[in-house]
Amino acid sequence: MRSIKLEKLKKTVKEGTIIPDVNLLIPAGKFFALLGPSGCGKTTLLRLIAGLESADAGKIFLGDQDITDWPIHKRPINIVFQNYALFPHLDVFDNVAYSLKLKKLPKAEIEQKVTKILEAFHLENHIYKLTSQLSGGQQQRVALARAIVNEPDVLLLDEPLAALDFKLRERMLIELIELQDKLKTTFIYVTHDQFEALTVADQMAIMNHRGEIEQIGTPKEIYEFPGSSFVARFVGTTNILGGKLRNLNADPEIEIANLGNFKVSIPQVKEWMKEGCDMLMSLRPEKIFISKKEVKNFSNHLKGTVQSIVYHGRSTQYNILLKNSMRIQVFEQNEEHFPQEVIDYDNEVNLYWQKENVVILEK
Amino acid sequence: MKIKFLRTPPSTQFPFTIGAPAMIWQVLFFYLPLAILAISSILQFSEETGIFEGLTFQKIAFFLRPLYLKVILLSFFLALGNAILCLLIAYPLAYFIAFIGKRYKNFFLFLLIVPFWTNFLLHIYAWFFVLEKEGFLNNLLRGIGAISEPLQLLNTPFAIMIMMVYYYLPFMVMPLYSSLEKMDVRLVEASLDLGASWGQTLRRVMLPVTKRGLMAGFFLVYIPSFGEFAIPEFMGGDKLMFVGTVISNYILGDETGSLGAAFTLVASLFLLASAALLYWLIDRLIPGRRHG
Repeated sequence: MRSIKLEKLKKTVKEGTIIPDVNLLIPAGKFFALLGPSGCGKTTLLRLIAGLESADAGKIFLGDQDITDWPIHKRPINIVFQNYALFPHLDVFDNVAYSLKLKKLPKAEIEQKVTKILEAFHLENHIYKLTSQLSGGQQQRVALARAIVNEPDVLLLDEPLAALDFKLRERMLIELIELQDKLKTTFIYVTHDQFEALTVADQMAIMNHRGEIEQIGTPKEIYEFPGSSFVARFVGTTNILGGKLRNLNADPEIEIANLGNFKVSIPQVKEWMKEGCDMLMSLRPEKIFISKKEVKNFSNHLKGTVQSIVYHGRSTQYNILLKNSMRIQVFEQNEEHFPQEVIDYDNEVNLYWQKENVVILEK
Repeated sequence: MKIKFLRTPPSTQFPFTIGAPAMIWQVLFFYLPLAILAISSILQFSEETGIFEGLTFQKIAFFLRPLYLKVILLSFFLALGNAILCLLIAYPLAYFIAFIGKRYKNFFLFLLIVPFWTNFLLHIYAWFFVLEKEGFLNNLLRGIGAISEPLQLLNTPFAIMIMMVYYYLPFMVMPLYSSLEKMDVRLVEASLDLGASWGQTLRRVMLPVTKRGLMAGFFLVYIPSFGEFAIPEFMGGDKLMFVGTVISNYILGDETGSLGAAFTLVASLFLLASAALLYWLIDRLIPGRRHG
């Protein structure tokens, strides 16, 4: 259990993926998720940490040790590959025992360690099978077992669940969380799936298309208080509305063209915030209350027409056309079998939200 | 009926029909001549009249003498040495083409087979120019001051070996390349990541995973090398006798055809036994199950 620190790390590869000057501290013993769109360089970053690629510039620290120039097989860091990369010519036991045999541990000790870990991963009935005879979920567990049997300081996971179906993925996520909790190994989990990242992470970082880290924080911080429109759009679903900042010093508002003024809350005035400057407002669909009736006690109100309805099971998504022909999404929990108010296509509806639930972003 | 016919692929419906031309060919031009060879090597004909007199194992026994066993052993070392040298050169080469030179792999493979487009004799003459006393290699070595007197390179085992490796290398590279290309490069990365050095990764992952291609390449080189006739003849002068040389001498000689057949039989049996032994040995040396 040690931390990973990246200092001014830089990498250019032929295909064009670029890591420009990344600084990042991944705390020891935490489940850290690195979330970014496909092709943003997050896998390259992981490979740099593992030692599979060498950096063009910058340093990598493990704890307070500079491991930048360490060869891959000397680093106490193990990686779980996206396609698992299990050895096809070895059975489950030999796959997991691979690193232990290299260390020339006594046979009895290897046997005991491998058996123990295979039991923990519910693989005790598949010990002598070839990995090609296993299901996707079992292969995934063999890959995990193979990587952690060696007790690495840091475990890297490169989109490890991408090949699994949704139900299995949900279960594996829980297993991963429990595993990390038990081992206290530093986990670095790379994914483009925000659901996975939000589920597993103690801490997470968001990477943009240029390979820059946009924001670091807990999943809740990232989701509720995105620092940029990229983060707001990439993590979860949101409505981004552009307007001008008004009344900054008293009761701040956003003026949206052809729609009106809406109250916003600004807990901390930032440098870019000037009276009348362009700005964006992010409003999560689930933070909006939708009703055909008029209600009170909300700081903001807007009218619109239901354009389409998408039923998701636990919630329903309404796409509302506003009078300035912009569209806005609203989620509503399906709390009851027979809701008191039925909202249908082409209904006129009222949208309400509290100003505290709005996030103000620089344009 | 028609639908049923279409449902199963023709290869499973008429296995014999599909395989027949190849089988007939194999029987007519391989098994039959082999049988004739074996039979004629144990038939005894009268020396004066040429009339059949009975069966004999004398001709075979004639070749079990040390003189001829030495010839067979020399061919064995030539073939084994060639296969091992080709393997040592071809493996890194195939790895390079499959993983590093990826984008230009077709070009590299093209370069590899280009020599096959020119006549074999031209290759031999080209190597004469390289290896002769006033040839390229001697001049080069003298130029850099490595030697003062030109070396005798032609008509030496060295010349034979160079030409053998030169000629047989593609037969080793091709199957190795196709095996390596199928290998997931992440297996190598996973092995390194789990603490293996490059040497351990080669032994524990790459060789086992590419075992089939390695075996194919090894025997594609080993078996024809054993009976190779032209290269030792041209490059080795007449100092060294190989299996191919002896066979051709007897087959082409006057009235010695059946002796040639007997020696061919002896040599072939040795080749078969040695190939089986080598197969077993390589199978033991490379750990893990056999895999594409």
